[in-house]
Amino acid sequence: MSTVQGQAIFRDVPEPKRVGLRQKVWNSRFDYLYVAPAIIVMLIVIGYPIYYTIELSFFNTPASLALSAKQFNGLDNYVTILTSPIFWKVTWQTVVWTVVSTFFAFMIGLGAALALHREFAGRGVLRAILLIPWVVSAVAASYVWKWLYHSDFGAISAMLTQVGLVDKPINFIDNTSTSLYALIVVNVWKEFSFAMIMLMAGLQTVPDTLLRAAQVDGASPWQRFWHVTFPHLRGVSMVTLLLLAVQNFNSFIIPWIMTGGGPAGSSDIWITHIYQLAFGRQRWGVASAYAVILFIVMMVLGYFYVRALTKGDDARAAT
Amino acid sequence: MAQVVLKDVVKNYGDVYAVNHVSLTVEDGEFVALVGPSGCGKTTTLNLVAGLIPMSGGTISIGDRDVTDLDPKDRDIAMVFQNYALYPQKSVYKNLAFPLQMRKLPKDEIDKRVQAAAKTLDIVHLLERKPRELSGGQQQRVALGRALVREPRAFLMDEPLSNLDAKLRVQMRSEIKRFHQDLNATIIYVTHDQLEAVTMSDKMAVMNGGFLQQYDSPANVFANPVNMFVASFVGSPAMSLVPLTAVTKGTDVVLASPEGWELPLNAANAKKALSAKSNKVVLGGRHSTIKVHKAQVPGSVPGKVYTVEPTGDVTFAQVFVSGAVVNVSVDPTFLLRPDEPVFIEFDQNRMHLFDGETEMALKLAD
Repeated sequence: MSTVQGQAIFRDVPEPKRVGLRQKVWNSRFDYLYVAPAIIVMLIVIGYPIYYTIELSFFNTPASLALSAKQFNGLDNYVTILTSPIFWKVTWQTVVWTVVSTFFAFMIGLGAALALHREFAGRGVLRAILLIPWVVSAVAASYVWKWLYHSDFGAISAMLTQVGLVDKPINFIDNTSTSLYALIVVNVWKEFSFAMIMLMAGLQTVPDTLLRAAQVDGASPWQRFWHVTFPHLRGVSMVTLLLLAVQNFNSFIIPWIMTGGGPAGSSDIWITHIYQLAFGRQRWGVASAYAVILFIVMMVLGYFYVRALTKGDDARAAT
Repeated sequence: MAQVVLKDVVKNYGDVYAVNHVSLTVEDGEFVALVGPSGCGKTTTLNLVAGLIPMSGGTISIGDRDVTDLDPKDRDIAMVFQNYALYPQKSVYKNLAFPLQMRKLPKDEIDKRVQAAAKTLDIVHLLERKPRELSGGQQQRVALGRALVREPRAFLMDEPLSNLDAKLRVQMRSEIKRFHQDLNATIIYVTHDQLEAVTMSDKMAVMNGGFLQQYDSPANVFANPVNMFVASFVGSPAMSLVPLTAVTKGTDVVLASPEGWELPLNAANAKKALSAKSNKVVLGGRHSTIKVHKAQVPGSVPGKVYTVEPTGDVTFAQVFVSGAVVNVSVDPTFLLRPDEPVFIEFDQNRMHLFDGETEMALKLAD
């Protein structure tokens, strides 16, 4: 009796050879059961909308008809988008918006992080002040900046005219040549604290003895930054840049509140354009096709983001 | 290589003195160990010599130059750190070349020196690797190499062996000693391990609480500790210290224990004991000068065995004597049991006496 029991227990121990996928799933069936509620909710609120968006992108949805009366039109929506000059204009503006915002937010954040890394009186207060843009609501900030930019009542134009830099007030956001850049300034102001926080955390990981070793080896402050500090920030910089890029690609609040993509589409970026198409002009099919293209771009960025994250883990594990 | 002179060096943070008026001279080609417990100021002293932290007072000169106000890069010293401080993103070759690049040496000169240093330290086959692909001992050698390529006037080493395992530490110890002999290098070496200091250095500077306690050859520090701190810090196991009272009985002087026993002193020791500020005298003895008896003999004092630690060649034991722990060593065939009453005999010619109030060693006036 006892020997039989012993054998049975022995057989329960998994063999060291490869186990098939089906067997693996079956072996951890209860684990799946436990996460099932979360997965079901996610499928309903994330999975289904994604599916529905992809489906809609292959249909024509005339504004005069109900959404259920959609007509299949194959890849027509995609062709319409890719051949329209507006698409390329909005894409270019999105790239400018994303790249310029990300670059300046990162560089200003890096400068602030380096400045705040040293001990000095009032460091804590300054750090708290520099964090305000990040914690303030984007909607509130957008309205405040809209007023600051206002040509008649705005503080910026008032200051510039008083100092004498310009003769008459500048209309920053109602001007097709300045609107996008005016928005980028607000966006950079809003985001640089995020880069600052990330890089400050990164700076903590730079070993003090390495900096001392470099000092003894004869490196100047700039050389110490370039040879010791910066290489240590590479991982966190990659993550910060990617997070900023993804966030900027998906920006909506600041451009929508401040200009709504105008004037004449001069500050339109993908998200505001898609919103306009879908909820302004009820062109659900085209808007969905736009969203699918955006989705693909985001997935590519996301892939690099995850890779940068896990690469950092490998490097840490190896050292 | 050059002489390093510290004159009245002070480093204080407000009322806290990390380094308190330390003066010492490291001769050209000498290996000096700065040794002491953690927080004694040894690493601070080394950083002051390197110029990594500003001094509060005093002067430091290297060779014939006063370097007190010079930047680390202008002091012409090289430093080896406890955690090696290799640049993780650079290959071994680039790590070695870095201090030379910073000094803007021509490329072929850099290559020549890097190859020579790599050959000296037997790391030629590692030159293309990154630091994280090396073992601890190899990283340590690269760190030494990076110091070596500079051809500095002095080497400063901050606990360079602390991160290695015990076996490797012993091996690297002899390699650093060899390195010192071959190069005739001036080395200031910080360690908390008195054994490292004793085995490697020409002179050891024992520090405690920011003060330089004793600066002498390891043999002299071992044989003639100037105070109770040095006595109990140097040596393994440490010197045993038993607080007693000096009492004059007619022409004799004895050390009396509160437990009632008395230890008569010979003439020389009697003189020393009477030179103490009060009658409080601390008796010190190293295990190698103490005999253990199972029965009382003249000049022995009673004690009780606390622990017994056989090590093979020799058995160490701790014996309670008048409330203090006395380390003794006996032949492995001499069996001792915990709680066994024994009698301890101090060698009158090799015992140490300390002033119970000042903690300074009692010496015969010349």
